Amino acid sequence: MSAEPQTASQVTPRRRSPWRERFREDWLVFSRNPLGRAGLVLLSVFGVMALLSFLPPLIDPMYHPMTGVDPQVLYSEGPSVRHWLGTDFMGRDILSQLLAGTRVAFMVGVSAAFMSIVLGVSIGMVAGYAGGVLDTLLMRLAEIIMVLPTLLVVLMLSALFGKLNIWTIVLLIALFRWPGVSRVIRAQTLSLKSRPFIDAARVAGASHARIVFRHIMPNVLPLAFLYMTFRVTAAIVIEAALAFLGFGDPSTVSWGMMLQWVWKTGHMFQAPYWLFPPGLCISLITLSFYLLGRAMDEVLDPRLREENGTV
Amino acid sequence: MARYVTSRLAQIVVILFMIVTILFVLFRLAPGDPVSRMVDPSLSPEEAANLIAQLGLDKPIGQQYLQYLQNFVQGNFGHSFHYGLPVGQVIMAKLPNTILLFTTAMVLSALAGIAWGKVAAWKKGQGADMALTVAALVTHTLFLPWLALLVIWIFGYKLDWLPINGMISAEVWLDPASGHLDKALDVAYHMVLPLATLFIMHFGSYLLVMRSSMLQTLREDYIITARAKGLTERKIRNHHAAPNAWLPVITSVGLSLAFSINGGALTETVFSWPGIGRELVMAVSQNDYPLAQASFLLIAMVVLFANLVVDLLYAYFDPRIRY
Repeated sequence: MSAEPQTASQVTPRRRSPWRERFREDWLVFSRNPLGRAGLVLLSVFGVMALLSFLPPLIDPMYHPMTGVDPQVLYSEGPSVRHWLGTDFMGRDILSQLLAGTRVAFMVGVSAAFMSIVLGVSIGMVAGYAGGVLDTLLMRLAEIIMVLPTLLVVLMLSALFGKLNIWTIVLLIALFRWPGVSRVIRAQTLSLKSRPFIDAARVAGASHARIVFRHIMPNVLPLAFLYMTFRVTAAIVIEAALAFLGFGDPSTVSWGMMLQWVWKTGHMFQAPYWLFPPGLCISLITLSFYLLGRAMDEVLDPRLREENGTV
Repeated sequence: MARYVTSRLAQIVVILFMIVTILFVLFRLAPGDPVSRMVDPSLSPEEAANLIAQLGLDKPIGQQYLQYLQNFVQGNFGHSFHYGLPVGQVIMAKLPNTILLFTTAMVLSALAGIAWGKVAAWKKGQGADMALTVAALVTHTLFLPWLALLVIWIFGYKLDWLPINGMISAEVWLDPASGHLDKALDVAYHMVLPLATLFIMHFGSYLLVMRSSMLQTLREDYIITARAKGLTERKIRNHHAAPNAWLPVITSVGLSLAFSINGGALTETVFSWPGIGRELVMAVSQNDYPLAQASFLLIAMVVLFANLVVDLLYAYFDPRIRY
């Protein structure tokens, strides 16, 4: 464990900017974790898939994931030269749907995670820094939201307000997934608040806002970033589950939607070529973000490096 | 202890009150006519008028809210459109099924997580540890509905070993010759696949928690003492390290309850297991608002009480904690 800073300084012969320096050291720790590397590779594959998703409709309109229908195909057919992964019950190309689904997953995952992190970090910092009644109130609220099953809450809201569109779903996921982050950030803020450099800033006449944003925030951001990778998976899974149950945005092709189609149209026994890909993609993208998060956790928390050992 | 439980119960009541109030406000804010949402159009005019009066839908909003709270306390949630029965009756019949499946799944996966996490930590860095950790990582990031469909596809279709939906088979339950044991076995037989799905989904995270907690415990001084006393490795592992390491697993069960309840609802839906989670999903898709609302509130209650039970279990197993 103690060997790491040394190795890092050995490979840096000349002085670099502190950010690059830090990044380099962190990267060294990260890249030593095989599972973290596997996660990164998997994620890059999904990234390429998301980029490729724009191609199929350009090649031929019949490859459009939503409206494209192959006139030669009347029902779901297995893989062929024309359709590498086969077609769904309407003769739409499964591969193009799968690629489009990748784009949706990234969109949903990253935007929901980003919003919930912004909320969680702000609320956590305010609660920790302000303390007192405000702290108690915010943390009580966090506790209540935390025990609610997000999927079922969103389901209930769609019972009240009808089918939700994809951005509403993203927003709702963000609104219900901040408490975990805010608790961690609050604890971190509490410990930072009592350090000498905060006192120094206060004595120097810094305002509360300046202390929070210039002195506390930079110190909690790495942690927030870590939590973001875990929130991405949560958001992707919730959206997929919602779509699977038939409450997704009907104008979006997501992986959950594809699974809902294969399940509800009764094709799951006859069409394994259709049943396998979407679920595998959801599971693998979740796994890759999770592995990435664990590896980053190790970067931030040296104790874990020893604990996780070779794995 | 009694004081702690009382204060926690009071807390649960306050939280429920807040959830109920928010639901009431949202219900009024939602587009559409509240009466047509709550009152089945197929009811006769007298029945409909009766129900409207009972739910207070003809009164001004303030009184309506009070009536709503009173109905909630009395468990009066109106009539289900789909079943044509009082909602309370419908969901209370489903509650035991959910509790049976869910509790069994949670207990089994926590026990397996503890047992295997112990082994993984003990064999840290070796083949067994690698295999268990990777298995845990992969299984607990699986997409649950997909896992459920796969399990059905493999064991219910390809191998055709086990029933893929429902909870009982009519042949067994209608046969006057079958006794309690036959019926229980029939339910168990139907429960295998949904239970396996929930188990595969959940043991992984408990395994990882147990593993890292056990690794911390193994660094403690009393483990060195135990070694110095010349105890067998087995004894050190099972009687000195493990009992101190598995408490965080209980905490993690509590923290992941909300997540597990989502999974429970999905599992029930895919396997047509007659529980409240499936009832909620079906009620929402059939626009049966009274039933959806009641199922949701019941699930919220179950989660809150389960959290309390988990905290009490923690106190029971950890003598350092006394409320």
